[in-house]
Amino acid sequence: MSHLIARATLPGGGASQARRRANHNPRRRNRRIGLAFVAVPLVFYAVVVLVPLAQSFQYSFYNWDGVSRATWVGLGNYIQFFTDPVLQSTLSHVLVLIFFFSLLPIVLGLLSTALITRRRLAGMAGYRFVYFLPQVLTSVVVALVFKRIYSPDGALNALLRSVGLDALTRSWLGDFTWALPALGLIGTWATFGFCMVLFISGVSSIPTELYEAARVDGAGPVREFFAVTLPGLRPQIAVALTLTVTGALRTFDLVWVTTGGGPGTATLTPAVALYRAAFVNPQVGKAAAIGIVMALLCLVIALAIGRVAERD
Amino acid sequence: MRKHRLASRTIATATVLTALFAAAGCAPGPSGTESASAPTSVSTDVANAGQVTLKLSDFWGGSEGEWIKSMITAFEKQYPNVTIERTQEDWGQLTSTLNLQLSDADGPDLATANNGWQSLGTLAKGNLVLNLDEYSKAYGWDSLIPSTIARQNEFTTDFKTIGSGSLFATPVARVSLIGIYYNVDKLTQLGIAPPTTLAEFEAAAQKAKDAGEIPIAYGSQDSPTAVLLGLQALYASADTINNFTYGDSSVTAAQAGLNEAAQTVKKWNDAGWFTPHHEGINYQDAVANFLDGKGVFRFEYTGSLGLTDKQQGTFKYIQLPQVTGTGTVGVGAAPAAMVIASKCKHPDVAAAFLNFLMSKDAAQASADNGLIPLLHDDVTIADSMATLKTEAAGAAQISASNGFVPYFDWTSPTMLDTLNQQMQMLYAGKTTPDELVAAVDKDRTTFLEQSK
Repeated sequence: MSHLIARATLPGGGASQARRRANHNPRRRNRRIGLAFVAVPLVFYAVVVLVPLAQSFQYSFYNWDGVSRATWVGLGNYIQFFTDPVLQSTLSHVLVLIFFFSLLPIVLGLLSTALITRRRLAGMAGYRFVYFLPQVLTSVVVALVFKRIYSPDGALNALLRSVGLDALTRSWLGDFTWALPALGLIGTWATFGFCMVLFISGVSSIPTELYEAARVDGAGPVREFFAVTLPGLRPQIAVALTLTVTGALRTFDLVWVTTGGGPGTATLTPAVALYRAAFVNPQVGKAAAIGIVMALLCLVIALAIGRVAERD
Repeated sequence: MRKHRLASRTIATATVLTALFAAAGCAPGPSGTESASAPTSVSTDVANAGQVTLKLSDFWGGSEGEWIKSMITAFEKQYPNVTIERTQEDWGQLTSTLNLQLSDADGPDLATANNGWQSLGTLAKGNLVLNLDEYSKAYGWDSLIPSTIARQNEFTTDFKTIGSGSLFATPVARVSLIGIYYNVDKLTQLGIAPPTTLAEFEAAAQKAKDAGEIPIAYGSQDSPTAVLLGLQALYASADTINNFTYGDSSVTAAQAGLNEAAQTVKKWNDAGWFTPHHEGINYQDAVANFLDGKGVFRFEYTGSLGLTDKQQGTFKYIQLPQVTGTGTVGVGAAPAAMVIASKCKHPDVAAAFLNFLMSKDAAQASADNGLIPLLHDDVTIADSMATLKTEAAGAAQISASNGFVPYFDWTSPTMLDTLNQQMQMLYAGKTTPDELVAAVDKDRTTFLEQSK
């Protein structure tokens, strides 16, 4: 009993001590309170993010079917990722997708921003809404719509036939050459509006004095764009790049719904390969290795873009 | 600045701790020795087993769901002391979580598993399901089940080999096959009799092509394999294909008829017998095209056309015999592997239910629900079920030759992907039948080496 009481009194004593010390060093006290507030989310974060991350890291060194005993394979899964021709090709597919998901929408977004912000147009909000719409749609819906458009009897082929370009019609998503660019253009359509809206809001924060100064100096619209708009949009471009490039790296839903990685492996992305390894064929270790490599790539790219954007 | 350092130190410590925590645990998966559990003494007496409640998890919906419901009702009527609580789950949901469900104390006593290494093999290896050899002896299943069907549920007890050894699951008195459906009206219009050999089929397809019809309704965007696997069974013996699938490394894919099948498929593609632009047509659209009358024939898994009662008879089924010789070999398997959980407290009653699912009553109930019966010949099929009659005839034909071969993708977990990719490349001229066969062999060799 006395033992219990002694214990029960302890926290009180501790608190008063802390209070006394805190009087000497208020910053230290703030820090403790801060940590106390952060503790719960931190534990939560550790349980749902850090532990699975560490587990994935551990799994990536094993050959494991998910049920029976795993065998240690060291770096085998990683070596396979970088030597297997099919898995290697997924990385080059990602490069193509980065062009369509990231570079093209940003260039188009900049161009349309430059055009739109030159003059106040009636119904601007309407344009913005229309171009931003794809961003609001669920990606699976977008994918299903485009699957129809690209199908042999779809809208695209119908359009080509109606203008006499029958020779160009094909099964866009079933064609080894065209499937990946066709997928890429879906991404361009989906992210272009997002980039544009981001850039338009960025332009509105550029001081108008700069534009006036440029005009006084005799700059034309092109010169004005490169001298004022583009440098002023640097942070927005960095955000757009980070989001769209990592988006391209993670591409899964679009490919899974439209082509499943086919024809052959022409549109296979690392994320689809990961899903197959983890859930279709029980190769948990291989899937974990792909996941770790992808996570590292995303991290490196995000850091690199951040660095470039901050440099002045 | 100091605050930052403290925060980052805390995070770093947390990260290191979690990493250590994860790495300190040994290899993922259960440790210790694995040994299959098998009941020592078995009984076929259910009436005196007392009040028993069994939990069944299955992935059967639609008419298959009606079938299992009627089976449960009939079994409970026969044995009032037994209650079976059924849970229906989506196929993907159940097959991907069955290992967890069976290790749960409150999990199912009976379940439908998928055959092959990925599902049944993993469950047997993980000691989650019972070895059924003793029940097989007690009920005489070895004489009831054709050996080519029984093999689909067998593993050696060292779990190095599939297709021989002990029985770890039972089929049911139903089967699903790969064969050819034809549009009855189209064939009549073209004046063609239903083909009975591959040569007749090719002549019919040519005639249909000449008449401006699409000979074979097809889509290769996501599921191109039915035609290849259907043809493969015409070119090799049941034993060869079975042995290849079950990992006998002395058999190659070429010996298992795959080369001829790939050549034939390529020939048909080049002749324009498939739906134009099939590389951009997905599975569902291909089925819909066929049902809409765009195509005379279609290679298909039975039960996949989703025929309504009204459509029964507008499409019929053909199981072609082997190209050489007399027998019929066909891809066919029970629609599920029925397993008993290792932790089931009343395995005798559970086994009696599995036996009931293979009974003549079960086969009859199957036919009554429009599903292809197996294991029993004397099943009556209503005249209104005209399509089912042809399907059942196909199953009987294979059964008579003991010519069932399993789904080819049981060979290895990645085989279906490999076949899909290779077939798409074949049509695009990016691979040859020889290269396709080599890729299939390589896929299997890689898997067999990994699993050693």
